[in-house]
Amino acid sequence: MTSGACTRCASPLEQGDFRCAICGLPTPKDDITPSHVAEVNAAVMRCHGCGAAVAYDVKAAAPKCAFCGSVTALETPEDPLEQAEAFLSFRVDPEQAKAALRTWMGGLGWFRPGDLRDGAVVDKLEPLWWAGWAFAAGVRVTWAADSDAGAGRSAWAPHSGEFGLELTDVLVPASRGLTDAECEALAPGYNLRDATAQPDPQRRALVEQFDVQRSAARATIARALTETAARHAADRVPGNSKRNVKVAVVPQRMSTRRLGFPAYVLAYRYGDTVYRAIVHGQDPQFVVGKAPWSWTRIFVIVAAAIAGIGLVALIVALAS
Amino acid sequence: MAQAASEPASGATLTLRCDGCGAQIQVAAGLRTAKCPYCASPAVIERPADPSRPDPAFVLGFVVTKERALEQARAWIRRPWFAPGAFRRAEPSDVRGLYLPVYLYTAMASAEYSAEIGENYIVVETYVTTDSKGNTVTRTRTRTKTEWRSLSGSWVSYVDDIIVSASSGLPNDELERVEPFDLRALHRFSPKVLSGWIAEDPSIGPEQCLTQARSETDAAIARRLAAHMPGDSHRGLQYRWRAEHEDLELMMLPVWVLAVKYAADKPLVRLVVNGQSGTVGGRAPLSWAKIVAVIVAALVIIVVAVLIGGSR
Repeated sequence: MTSGACTRCASPLEQGDFRCAICGLPTPKDDITPSHVAEVNAAVMRCHGCGAAVAYDVKAAAPKCAFCGSVTALETPEDPLEQAEAFLSFRVDPEQAKAALRTWMGGLGWFRPGDLRDGAVVDKLEPLWWAGWAFAAGVRVTWAADSDAGAGRSAWAPHSGEFGLELTDVLVPASRGLTDAECEALAPGYNLRDATAQPDPQRRALVEQFDVQRSAARATIARALTETAARHAADRVPGNSKRNVKVAVVPQRMSTRRLGFPAYVLAYRYGDTVYRAIVHGQDPQFVVGKAPWSWTRIFVIVAAAIAGIGLVALIVALAS
Repeated sequence: MAQAASEPASGATLTLRCDGCGAQIQVAAGLRTAKCPYCASPAVIERPADPSRPDPAFVLGFVVTKERALEQARAWIRRPWFAPGAFRRAEPSDVRGLYLPVYLYTAMASAEYSAEIGENYIVVETYVTTDSKGNTVTRTRTRTKTEWRSLSGSWVSYVDDIIVSASSGLPNDELERVEPFDLRALHRFSPKVLSGWIAEDPSIGPEQCLTQARSETDAAIARRLAAHMPGDSHRGLQYRWRAEHEDLELMMLPVWVLAVKYAADKPLVRLVVNGQSGTVGGRAPLSWAKIVAVIVAALVIIVVAVLIGGSR
């Protein structure tokens, strides 16, 4: 839930924020009671329960009444566990997901078992909404780096630059069930505008909880923003070889959405081993997972390569 | 509510009526809290805000108990080997928990910089030497050299969490020794948090604190710019920066203050303990006898080593 925008960086503030999470500017307080004090006075802070004087108690970490023991709650920044605010719709049904898995198996290449596509048995198919954030921001990026462009005696020369960047729908995984690599492989196929406030109950899909507090989520997203800016900066460094790409950023208008991303987690058995694969919930072309290798085929190729090298060596020896 | 009483004529004390028992209580100027000597009621002094003494926006509550602050201080006192033995055996006393007024500074900083960037390269050198059999041989070796290239550019960032003391009683360098404070645990200011504790009003104005905060920001930018430089090394880093959207908010931080008396003829040593983390800061006295003894011992070792080396 947002509560206005920061006056320095224009990023939306959330309910219960004391300071802007992006630029650190304190948020204004709604009612500034001490300012309404008209004259100097010595006020005894009273317990709301019994009227006795209260004093701050270290062990309670709050003002506490010495008489009745009641503790006064203090206004503290809210740091709730993140909850998904929207769920992207499933556009792939379970049968399409299984078919996508077979198609993926068939396209893995010659080093996989020839009967993988038809011989694998799907043991389990679990639809789920995995947790992630999508952020948008305008970012002023300043960078410095070394590259081979303009290099002299050293292979490296320093460069610097500055550019503005409009980031939209940058996906940051928050999933504990899926690895970051799996999430990143699925990310390009999601349509972030195809979302509803509640998960579709017909899907009977597992809703993965964020399991992270707002403050930790913001730290993760800030890191992702800097990493994204660094990747864009690396593209702008002249030359072919680059190193030491350093960026300093000023994000503005940064907004974040907490989303549930649809996917199918499939467990399939080939031989005696169980493998896992993830099929995208909106675009069946995106499949990521593990698959067996055909050691027979790999052995044949290696043996053929050794035989070929031996044959060439023999020919060379005979020729000389 | 307590009634307003006489404003201090000299600025030394305020006379206020106790909200608990009605007795007249004397409150030292510059303090934000008081305790009635008759009924022991803790009171918080409320004053109309003015630009030189704004209302605090935030407060951090005490987490470290008095007992733990004492333990931390005792451990700190035992540590510095170069301190006099009497200091290391001394017992801290006069432990007081107080809320210190500080200003929290945030801004957006833009800098223009220039520097020489060192880019290393390796050269192979040929040299003539004598081998173990006395023959003259030609050999090669690699050497790393540095090519210096100039670089200039821009740098931008938000600056936050710069804290400067607004108390002339506990200057900024003493506060820096016990930083950092975890500002994620901030509370909106409530006078109830001060109740029962010593709390100061700011005795340094916002303009002076702003100057100090900019000075700390300058040092922070220098560190961050040094980390921003590419290359294998850099030298001659020069920069100019400007702040935009500056903000300064008064807040109250929890600190324990202790005194250490270790000799009748020596001044008290003040220790400060971070009331949130327990970090101890202070300036331990030096034992010149120990320092001279160490220097003499080092010199003796060097002389003996030289003599042994020369006799071979």
